[in-house]
Amino acid sequence: MNFRADLTAEIPYLRRFARGLTGDPALADDLVQDCVERAMVKSHLYDPTRPLRAWLYAVLRNIHVSGLRRERRAGIVKTVEDLTGPEAMLRPTQEGGTLFLQVASALDRLPDQQREVLILVAVEEMSYRDVAEITGVPVGTVMSRLSRARSALRELIGEEAKPSLRRIK
Amino acid sequence: MTEPTNSEDWSLHAYADGEIAGQESRALDERLAGDPEARAKVEAWRRQKALLREAFDPVLDQTVPANIKAALRHHRGFSLSPYAIAAALALLIIGGAAGWFTSLQMNAPEAMQFADLAIEAHEVFTREERHAVEVAANDSEHLTSWLSKRIGQKLVVPDLTARGYTFLGGRLLAAGTQPAAQLMYEDQAKRRITIFLTANQAGAESKFIVEEKRGITACYWLDGPLGFVIAGEQSRDDIMSLAHMVYKSFES
Repeated sequence: MNFRADLTAEIPYLRRFARGLTGDPALADDLVQDCVERAMVKSHLYDPTRPLRAWLYAVLRNIHVSGLRRERRAGIVKTVEDLTGPEAMLRPTQEGGTLFLQVASALDRLPDQQREVLILVAVEEMSYRDVAEITGVPVGTVMSRLSRARSALRELIGEEAKPSLRRIK
Repeated sequence: MTEPTNSEDWSLHAYADGEIAGQESRALDERLAGDPEARAKVEAWRRQKALLREAFDPVLDQTVPANIKAALRHHRGFSLSPYAIAAALALLIIGGAAGWFTSLQMNAPEAMQFADLAIEAHEVFTREERHAVEVAANDSEHLTSWLSKRIGQKLVVPDLTARGYTFLGGRLLAAGTQPAAQLMYEDQAKRRITIFLTANQAGAESKFIVEEKRGITACYWLDGPLGFVIAGEQSRDDIMSLAHMVYKSFES
């Protein structure tokens, strides 16, 4: 009966996942807010024998994907200004902030389907099976998207990504 | 963008992500020891992983914004600590001694809070037109099995047609951390009543207790595994008579 307490403990991870998906801290937190609201309302749909985090990620991801579809229908295109949102401007000198911006802009050039798989596996450390369930595709598709995402990101930020990123600062 | 060229690449990804265990993992350890190219791939992926983690991990330690915390209170219904409910239920049991069809003056704030739960839910949801219920009456089989599962007790939908009330449907509510159900009915004049049900963990019995607030009459009682509240803007006599019908339909 501690759904709310369990959900509260997952919020930091939801925020991280949302940032990975959107690359935009403000947008990410809006997404988390929607996700928490929906999770509270739909808590009866959660099967307690399954990990809560994977369920929440699926909820958050679905909200995100339907938002992307809406944006596409409305013809909204992301701009570079979107990537350097208010939070990034507030703390431009912080190491984490700079790295975040670099990585976020690289991820933004990946197809959404590759990006979500890479984030779920590499950042959220979800198993391939959980990722397949969250994204609604077979495990084989997860693996091929993961492989493509890894190669693409490697090209985008380079082999020795970290030192070169640090130099940009 | 490069496609994985052979089946070995797949197992390398799985290896880098810790998906491979046991014997297969040891076999790959051996293979990597003698295959610098494969080893370089795995290491590159792991560096990439570390870079992504470094970019996104800082948020884990940041303070959660107020609007997200506020979203935790966003649910159908209201919030009351289980202790307040327990205290209120205990008072109801004491109050129950006063007898059937008797109005009881209860001064304890906890008891008032308990009555408020059902009255508030009644006020909020009977005003809704399109979203009055979460699951409509035409799907009542699903509704009862779902709510029964959530409440942890077998629920039935009382038939109140003899008093002119049609069942509209129901919804799940949160009474603190405890699930509760609300069933809604409407008569021909579009007047609505709601029945609020929740698990009565103490398992005690009580008589009917009546309270009136903001023009709403609520009658509540404990009946073994369940606690009931029936609320509506109808007269006290009407509510009591409906309460009796509800009580009877759970008698089996």
